[in-house]
Amino acid sequence: MNSQLAFNALGDPTRRAIFEKLQHRPMAVVDIANGLPVSRPAVSQHLKVLKEAKLINLKTVGNNNIYELNREGIVAMRNYLDKFWDDALANFKALAEQTEKQK
Amino acid sequence: METINLTSIKKEFVVEASQQAAFEVFTRKMDLWWPRTHHIGTSAMTEMVVEPYLNGRWYSRHTDGSEANVGYVLNYQPYDLLVLAWQIDGDFKCNPNLITEVVTEFIAEGPKTTRVRFEHKDLHKLGNGKVVESMDKGWGEIMNVYKQFADQ
Repeated sequence: MNSQLAFNALGDPTRRAIFEKLQHRPMAVVDIANGLPVSRPAVSQHLKVLKEAKLINLKTVGNNNIYELNREGIVAMRNYLDKFWDDALANFKALAEQTEKQK
Repeated sequence: METINLTSIKKEFVVEASQQAAFEVFTRKMDLWWPRTHHIGTSAMTEMVVEPYLNGRWYSRHTDGSEANVGYVLNYQPYDLLVLAWQIDGDFKCNPNLITEVVTEFIAEGPKTTRVRFEHKDLHKLGNGKVVESMDKGWGEIMNVYKQFADQ
């Protein structure tokens, strides 16, 4: 699971808005785009990023493409936080050691 | 050594700095080590602030002049312990009703050696609300899946 992708994907406010919408129910692109201040092609691009980050899945119902949340992606959010703290704490360690040397 | 489970993130490591230096850098200089890309503000982050006392605010400042709350100080014991309440939920919003603890212990192992024990607890709470409601079986199933995966 690529948690970094998931974290980056949700770093964008439009993609967070889409992710939140899909938390209510699975939706077609036209419903997702409804009410969002961006064009349909832009929404499709955002959906692609969310899908690549494994936060959402695409399924086909009849002639419609329906997007839904990917449960594994929720676990990815936990992994995202794990990676975030790794980065932050590595920065902290370096800075603390630098501060100590400069005393 | 790291322990992996779904509801808590644990990190333990040694810093080549005094206990006091480690504590003060962690608490008072968070702005200098916090990854700039990670905030929930409406514009770019200019500063990350922890007010260094009990119930002090934990928040970020932004280029548009706004502030975004992250949480607050639950326990402040220089130079041994800092417990922060992380209140950003699974929707990347600060939720005043949510408390997940970020516990950082500083253990002096020498004049310039400090062991840091870090834990971000109660992560299952981050998904409370919309995320869990939208999932058929919620976190129970995810945790079972994760346990099976971890036990393999």
